[in-house]
Amino acid sequence: MTGPKLVSILRQGDWLIASIHTALDDSQMLLFRNDLVEQIGRHRSRGVVIDVAALDVLDSFGANTLRTIAEMARLRGAETVIVGIQPDVAFAMVSLGMDTGDVPTALDLEEGLAYLGRPTGARSRGRRDAAG
Amino acid sequence: MGATDFIGAREDPSAPDVAALIPMVRRVIGARVADPTTAEDLVQETLVRVLTAAPRVEPGMLEPYAIVTARNVVTSLWRQQDRDRRNQHRVVDLSPPDAPDDDMLAREEQEAVAAALARLTDRERDTLVAHEVSGQDTRSLAEELGSTAGAVAAQLNRTRARLRVEYLLVRENVEPPTDRCRPVLLALSGGDRRRQREVDAGRHLLECEVCARLSPPLMERTQSRDDELRIPIAVDADVVAARQAARELASRLGFARTELTLIATAVSEVTRNIVRFAGAGEVVVELLDQPRAGVRITARDTGPGIPDVQAALADGYSTYNGLGLGLPGARRLMDEFAVVSESGRGTTVTMTKWCDAR
Ligand SMILES: [Zn+2]
Repeated sequence: MTGPKLVSILRQGDWLIASIHTALDDSQMLLFRNDLVEQIGRHRSRGVVIDVAALDVLDSFGANTLRTIAEMARLRGAETVIVGIQPDVAFAMVSLGMDTGDVPTALDLEEGLAYLGRPTGARSRGRRDAAG
Repeated sequence: MGATDFIGAREDPSAPDVAALIPMVRRVIGARVADPTTAEDLVQETLVRVLTAAPRVEPGMLEPYAIVTARNVVTSLWRQQDRDRRNQHRVVDLSPPDAPDDDMLAREEQEAVAAALARLTDRERDTLVAHEVSGQDTRSLAEELGSTAGAVAAQLNRTRARLRVEYLLVRENVEPPTDRCRPVLLALSGGDRRRQREVDAGRHLLECEVCARLSPPLMERTQSRDDELRIPIAVDADVVAARQAARELASRLGFARTELTLIATAVSEVTRNIVRFAGAGEVVVELLDQPRAGVRITARDTGPGIPDVQAALADGYSTYNGLGLGLPGARRLMDEFAVVSESGRGTTVTMTKWCDAR
């Protein structure tokens, strides 16, 4: 990809921090998905935080892609948490009849990392409320 | 060379009587250009142009033709002056030098105008000429015609719109391929949005290559409206462009941020259908002020159409990737929502969000 980066994926120990920096179209969303899933495998990551704060909308395709990423990550042994869903985006998702399924969400990056780092014994379904 | 030289130069008795046009041309130009020397130069230029084109102009058409030419000559002077004024501070002259084939282009242009004028009805032409020649105002024209000033003004607008269409058809040397072409082109030329909807102009432009090619110069006038955006849709990136355009335009109305995101999300859903199922189409975003402030999105394509619209609007309808068409979702996000689909012709989704913020 040329120009300013649309997404970035940083490795931090056992975790990957994936940030979406701008509105993505469907093809870009799929590239992001493939790239992220590939890196999870390569780094044998145990957890992934996806920061979607810069996304302008999360429509049916966007929400579905996030669910797919989480499912693929789970099959490779990594847990996914989505952070930064803006209040207006969350409201539109609810109105649209979409949600992030079983994928846990957290308010921001810090909370997302805290969620991944919680004591293993305490793992439950996780928070499913969209931020805001 | 004085204007009278033209009279002396008339040797062929069958040649058109260009000299007879001089008083009228002087009147047209004199009404618009104050400086007598400049005016006389423009009269000369007009007569030269008319004389060049005269053999190809139909008998009786020379006068209206000369009027249009005179007006064009004045307009290009104004444009030149405006350009000069704007470029005064520049050291180098930025205006392009005259191309060698300028004369030929000008001649073709004039022929097209003349032919277009010939296609108007006598009444249309007479009214247009009376208004343009001596600047006869719509009120006195209305008295003569037993009509109202408003009706005459509207008629004049329609005539101008028609003249532009006929001019384009002559210049491009095309015959409209369908019955619907002329009404559509007229509606576009007149900039009448209600009429454009009545004749479904947007859909026709998607379907008719000829009109699609002819329409840009006609649309320039309506496109300059700043309360309407038209986004061609073909690839994934266009979905983002459409939803961002809708958000940006709607943001002028005082929608809350949450509502803007609802609108953008709905646009995203319906625009994706165009890319996935139709391959090509367009999204038009319009600001409305009647019956109150709002934004209307029209997404149309020339795809295969939706076989069962009712089913597609029901939750759970699924055609690709286990996802629905996004139509039920988009409908929930907007205040008004309508789908018209015809097998083999395509789909038009029209949706509106009213702005209650004021
Ligand atoms: Zn046509």
